This record gives sequence, C-alpha cells and structure tokens, in this order.
Amino acid sequence: MPRHCREFESFLPAYVDGEFDAYERAAVESHIEECAVCRRAVRIQSAMKEAVKRAAPAVAPIELRRSVRLALRDEEPRGSRWDGVLRNPRSVGLLAAAVGAAVWFLAGGMSHPLFPTRHHSGLVDDGIALHRRGLPLDYTASDVGSVQQWLQGRLDFAARVPRFRQGPALQGVRLSQLHSRSAAALSYSVPQAEGRRVTLLIVDDPDDGDPPGSVRRLPGREVWLSRSRGYNVVSWRTDEIVYSLISDLDESDVLQLVQAVELR
Amino acid sequence: MLDFKHTDRTRREFEALALGHLDPLYSAALRLTKNERDAEDLVQDTFLRAFRFFDKFERGTNMKAWLFKILTNTFINRYRRRVKERTVVEGAAREQSSEKFIVRETAESAVNPEQYFFDKLLSDDVLRSIDGLPIDFRLVVILADLQEFSYKEIAEILDCPVGTVMSRLYRGRKLLQKNLMSYAVEQGVLQAPRAMELSSEAEEEADVLQFKRRAGG
Repeated sequence: MPRHCREFESFLPAYVDGEFDAYERAAVESHIEECAVCRRAVRIQSAMKEAVKRAAPAVAPIELRRSVRLALRDEEPRGSRWDGVLRNPRSVGLLAAAVGAAVWFLAGGMSHPLFPTRHHSGLVDDGIALHRRGLPLDYTASDVGSVQQWLQGRLDFAARVPRFRQGPALQGVRLSQLHSRSAAALSYSVPQAEGRRVTLLIVDDPDDGDPPGSVRRLPGREVWLSRSRGYNVVSWRTDEIVYSLISDLDESDVLQLVQAVELR
Repeated sequence: MLDFKHTDRTRREFEALALGHLDPLYSAALRLTKNERDAEDLVQDTFLRAFRFFDKFERGTNMKAWLFKILTNTFINRYRRRVKERTVVEGAAREQSSEKFIVRETAESAVNPEQYFFDKLLSDDVLRSIDGLPIDFRLVVILADLQEFSYKEIAEILDCPVGTVMSRLYRGRKLLQKNLMSYAVEQGVLQAPRAMELSSEAEEEADVLQFKRRAGG
C-alpha cells in the first residue's frame, strides 16, 4: 500500500458517511480515481454499511410497546414530583441529594462517593419496576428444589431459594440484570391475599452498604423495610446476598411473610 | 400540590415525541445486550429514565439523539462489569481468527467482488460480526451505520470528541470487515484466498512490520 494512502485511509469512513463538504469530497475523489486500493476500500465500506443497515433493524415486540406505555402511566416526570415533595421541609435536603445523584448518574457515573446508599435504593426501585412489569418467567416450577437446581450455573453467585413455612406459592423465576449485577426474581402468588403476586429479588451484594429503609428486628433476624411507589419492600442479607421481598401487601402482612421464610 | 393536568399533558407530549423511536432504540439495544430480554429491559428503563428527566430535554432539539444518549449511558452503567468480562474473551477469540489470514501482497481483483460478497452474506453473519465487536467499536458502528447519526451527534451521545468517533469508527469497521470475512470463509461463501484479497491492507502492513521486527531480532 502506497504510503500516502495511509493518510487517506483514515478519512475514508468520513467520506463514506457523507461527513465531508464539497471541497474535502473532491480531494478524496481525485485520490481514489487514481488509487485502486482506496477505491476498493471505499467500495467495501459502503457495501458493509449497507449490509449492517439491512441486517440490524428490528421491530420492538408489541408487548414491549405496551409495557412501556403502562410503566409511563405510573411514572411522574420529575417536575411534578417536586411540588409535592417540596412542601415537606425535611425532604428538601434528601431531594437535593437525590437530584444531584441522579444528574450525576445521567452524566455517566456509577457509584457516588457522597451517596453510598443511592446505589441500593436504585436497586429497590429497579426491583419494583421489575415486579410491576410482571415479565414472563424463564423457568416455571412450584417446588424449591427444581428452581434451585435450575439457578445453578445461571447466576454468578450462590443464591438460595428460600422456603416459606406457609403462605406464598412459588411460580417460577426470571433472571435479570440490575446495576450490572446478575439477579434472580422469584415469583410467588399469595393464596391468602386473592393470589396477589409477590416477587423475591435475590442480588449478589459485594459492597457492604445497608439495604435501604428502616431497620426492623424480627425474631432472629434484622430486616430493612422501605416503601416506594406504593410497594412495600423488605430486605435482608444472608451470606453477602441481599433478598428483597416486593409486594403491594401492607406492612404487617409483608413482615409476616418474611417471618415465614426459612433459608434452609 | 401534585398537578395532575400538568403531568398528563407532559406524558402525552413525551409519548408523542419519544415512542416513535421505540424500534430504533430496541434495534440498538439488541445489538448492545445481544439478547431480547436484556434489550427489552434496557429499552424500558431508557424510557422511564427519559420521562423522569424530560424537563432536562430542550424542546426543539434532537429527541432521538437524546434518547440514545440515555440508552447508551444506562447500558454502560448497568452492564459495565459484564461487558468487561466479555471484552477479554472477545480479544482472545479475535487473535485466533486473525491467524486464518495469511499475509500476502494484495492485487486488485479484475472483477468487482465486494458487492456480490456482501449481498451473499447472511443477516445472521452480519449480526454476529457486529456482536463480536468490543463495546466501544460496537457503539459507534451501531450509531453510525444502523442509526445513521452524524459524527457530531455521535460525539454528543457518547460524550467524546469527534476525532474519537472517527478513529473508533475506522478501527471498528476494520474489525467488522475481518469478522465478516472469517464467517464467510467458515461457511464456504468465500474461499480463503479471496478473503485475503478482501482483508485489510493496513493490518497486513502492521503484520509485515511485526514480522520484520521479529526477523531483525
């Protein structure tokens, strides 16, 4: 390859993509008229661009369109949320922190040194979003053993599927990805509450921040209770793994469910 | 006091502006996450996040580019760890596949094989080749070739200089070409010597230099 092509070669993508003005285009064109190597490079890149354009467009599933619309119904744009929150002077400081963290998050950050718990509360919100969407299960089974077996090797941590002494009936599990952690969402229905759905989210927890919410002491166990978007979330940690029970049942019911959990 | 009328109006405006971009966002999400489930999750989170921050969107500016910025940020934040792991594997796989190409002086073919070749390529091979790119290159190829954003828009979406977009695209397309060739050879669409002719000169040159260095001690 002639040395002067080196220079042109790196300009060829911009030429192919129509980024050049008339003058620059003319310069490239007068070169490729003489240079077979660059001429072919242009042909290859154009053909490749066409091939990508032909192959890659996908149509979003109708189900996705529907679930996006549904999720938007429950969501408020930030502006309207402020009005309510600002009436409560205690929440102003929290709000400032949340907005700072959120703006910073949008700017591309991952963990904020000043808001170590942001990460966890984001996890809870994402868990709630996951629960609300009720996406199809990856594996359907009602017995703990086979779900446990199915999870083996599909998660990069040792999640334990808990047993409930009474109450929720296991439906199955869906794998997910929350904040770059792999997660399993176990789905249950609660016969005592007209078959209402409960999700138990299991997430690996390498950093040692506390789960969000206020601490409640149950017999033999400490849990964190938080409430967001009309859902009660009870979290606890066992062997560096965080379990969060998400439901729209009321506080006392959800705490009662947690008390019925035995981890083996 | 919550202003529900305001919220409804905002929601309608957002849906009118944003939902039309669902298919392009989903297409890009599929190539980023490489599977349908994660793509759906990513798109859904993108819309929720965009709606939450809708007041940050400057009316009259490019909604599609704004949504893609949120999509790529969400993806990069959420999938960073997994992507890192994968890039290592891809690097190793790439080295292996590049050994298939023997270094040789390239002569222009009398016929014009490129168009024919790319027409014969299966969509699946093209998709696999895109999916095989390391994330930085995959992003610019998706944004430039699939979505046809301008370099300036891509620079804004990825928050990097235009020069970086150009160099990533340059290298990304070279890798893509290489991946495509290796699939074509694998499937007998193309014979190895033809693949050599189509493979990139600059890399051959680099290989030659490396060879000389090695030969010279």
